[in-house]
Amino acid sequence: MERNLTHIALFAALIAVLGLIPKIDLISGVPITAQSLGIMLCGTVLGAKRGFLAVVLFVVLVAAGLPLLSGGRGGIGLFVGPSAGYLIGFPVAAFVAGFVVERWQVRVGVAALAGAVLGGIVVLYAFGIPGMALTLGKSLPEAALLATPFLAGDVIKAVLAALVTQAIAQARPGALLSRG
Amino acid sequence: MLTLTSPVRIWAHSLSAWVKLGAICVFTLALMQLEGGWLAGAVALVLALAASGGRVFFAQWLKMLRPLWPFVALVALWQVWLGAPWATFPIIARLGAAVGLANAVTMTTELAEILALLTRLARPLARLGLKPQVLALCVALVIRFVPVMLLRYAQIALAFRARSPRRPGWRILMPVLLATLDDADRVAEALRARGGAG
Amino acid sequence: MAASGIELRGVAYAMAGKAILSDIDLHLTEARIGIVGRNGSGKTSLMRVMAGLVAPSVGTVLVAGQDPARNRKAMLTEVGILFQNPDHQILFPTVGEELAFGLTQMGQTDKEARAQARHLLAEVDRAHWEGAATHTLSQGQRQYLCLLSILAMQPATLLLDEPFAALDLPSQARLRRRLAGLAQQIITISHDPAAVVGADRVIWLDGGRVVQDGPPDHVLGVFTDEMARIGGLDADADLSG
Repeated sequence: MERNLTHIALFAALIAVLGLIPKIDLISGVPITAQSLGIMLCGTVLGAKRGFLAVVLFVVLVAAGLPLLSGGRGGIGLFVGPSAGYLIGFPVAAFVAGFVVERWQVRVGVAALAGAVLGGIVVLYAFGIPGMALTLGKSLPEAALLATPFLAGDVIKAVLAALVTQAIAQARPGALLSRG
Repeated sequence: MLTLTSPVRIWAHSLSAWVKLGAICVFTLALMQLEGGWLAGAVALVLALAASGGRVFFAQWLKMLRPLWPFVALVALWQVWLGAPWATFPIIARLGAAVGLANAVTMTTELAEILALLTRLARPLARLGLKPQVLALCVALVIRFVPVMLLRYAQIALAFRARSPRRPGWRILMPVLLATLDDADRVAEALRARGGAG
Repeated sequence: MAASGIELRGVAYAMAGKAILSDIDLHLTEARIGIVGRNGSGKTSLMRVMAGLVAPSVGTVLVAGQDPARNRKAMLTEVGILFQNPDHQILFPTVGEELAFGLTQMGQTDKEARAQARHLLAEVDRAHWEGAATHTLSQGQRQYLCLLSILAMQPATLLLDEPFAALDLPSQARLRRRLAGLAQQIITISHDPAAVVGADRVIWLDGGRVVQDGPPDHVLGVFTDEMARIGGLDADADLSG
């Protein structure tokens, strides 16, 4: 019980930390914020249910007005702005990523890559694109076109999430709750 | 931790959070339907509300709208390319008014008040096992551990740079994540030592 | 006094198949007890077992006659633990909340707990700490806050894990003075003999077993000689496990 709770809370904090640290060069010369990487990791490391709850907690605190979203953003305004769809999709993305790792019993790294792509990209975009279409007064195909520049970065993050999850499975097998 | 609540207290601080949240919902839905003069009126209303807080409040309010600029630029370029530049205005007016009002609510509502409201909204979830005091404990833990973990991150980055000429890139993720997992176990133990999560 | 103190009978503890503690038989009733040993000797695991944070794999643990791993609520007034790293112990963003938490766990209402927290701070001339953010306190102050939060719950026994390890000399002196004045039973765990000087009884743990148990002069003398001997050897290459 306590262990579930502290993992959920500390991973919610981790998402914030990954968004607040000075942008790290994930691959040299391309600074991208690691926040959505945090969302993917919540799912692939904590599993579907705990990952979902950790991200819900994070989103609730952002809504409540804590500046935890990358760039120090926060508040209810985000939920009526262009990124609304992404914020609402975050918890679902983590759930799907975790679900894939839990259920697809192949090598952890492979399952984590599949989970991160399916949850962190397919599902997240499925929420994010309609959100942009609605708030920016665009059609869905137009909004999808607006989202494509971010695809490359998100694919890199999915690969990183898979590598890191695999590495944890080796370094600390007991800590990988998604395969616990 | 710093919140986005304005240090300048204005009249809207004393309104109930429920009223303000309700206002956002109604206003945002209405904006979708408004056109022309009515839309301009809605924008003017939001501007007037923000301006009623005085110069400092208004400046902070404007600053919070800054993340919208890339979208404004994008939509404008798009409309120019489509040959209908004037259509930019209603789109941006709706977006700016909705975000502007919601930001003003965030600025005039204490964190504790919004959290109390959200806890209240989450009360039906108590049947599913999510007790309000557990939610409150989780919220406190996040606020407590964000600065602790930022410091930990800085220490790990420093340790990396002490032994490498390169900037710590993604390699730093692994130690940060392991530290988080270990911390979660230790904190769970400390929580258990003091009576657990109820 | 049949049910007093902490009693361990035939206790063993293993983690992931690896024996951490073996054949521990102890009855701890003295007011000041020190447990010394090298890193990895099982000291911290012994503390966890005694406090009921983990259950032993074999044997019985009794704190005031009760099983500490089962009766968590009863343990709140029996055992208070000062963890080695205050950053793992402090759960709340502000000092007031941190102090009040243990009190609400013991059944007080939020309001009562906050009032008592204020009172406790005022008693030690730190009323101005109430609203302070916990992460802005110094290492020594955070440790002190941890101690205050435990004392607020008035446990019969305090378990201290390396309480002086991260403190500078003035902070160490202050903590020692504060501890000396306490009526509670205090069990101090440390790798450093200096931390347990003045105890009524010292237990030396090595490889998860009790090697020596007796008056501090004797045990610490043997312990210090052995540590010096090991330190003189130039072979620290063995991997555990």
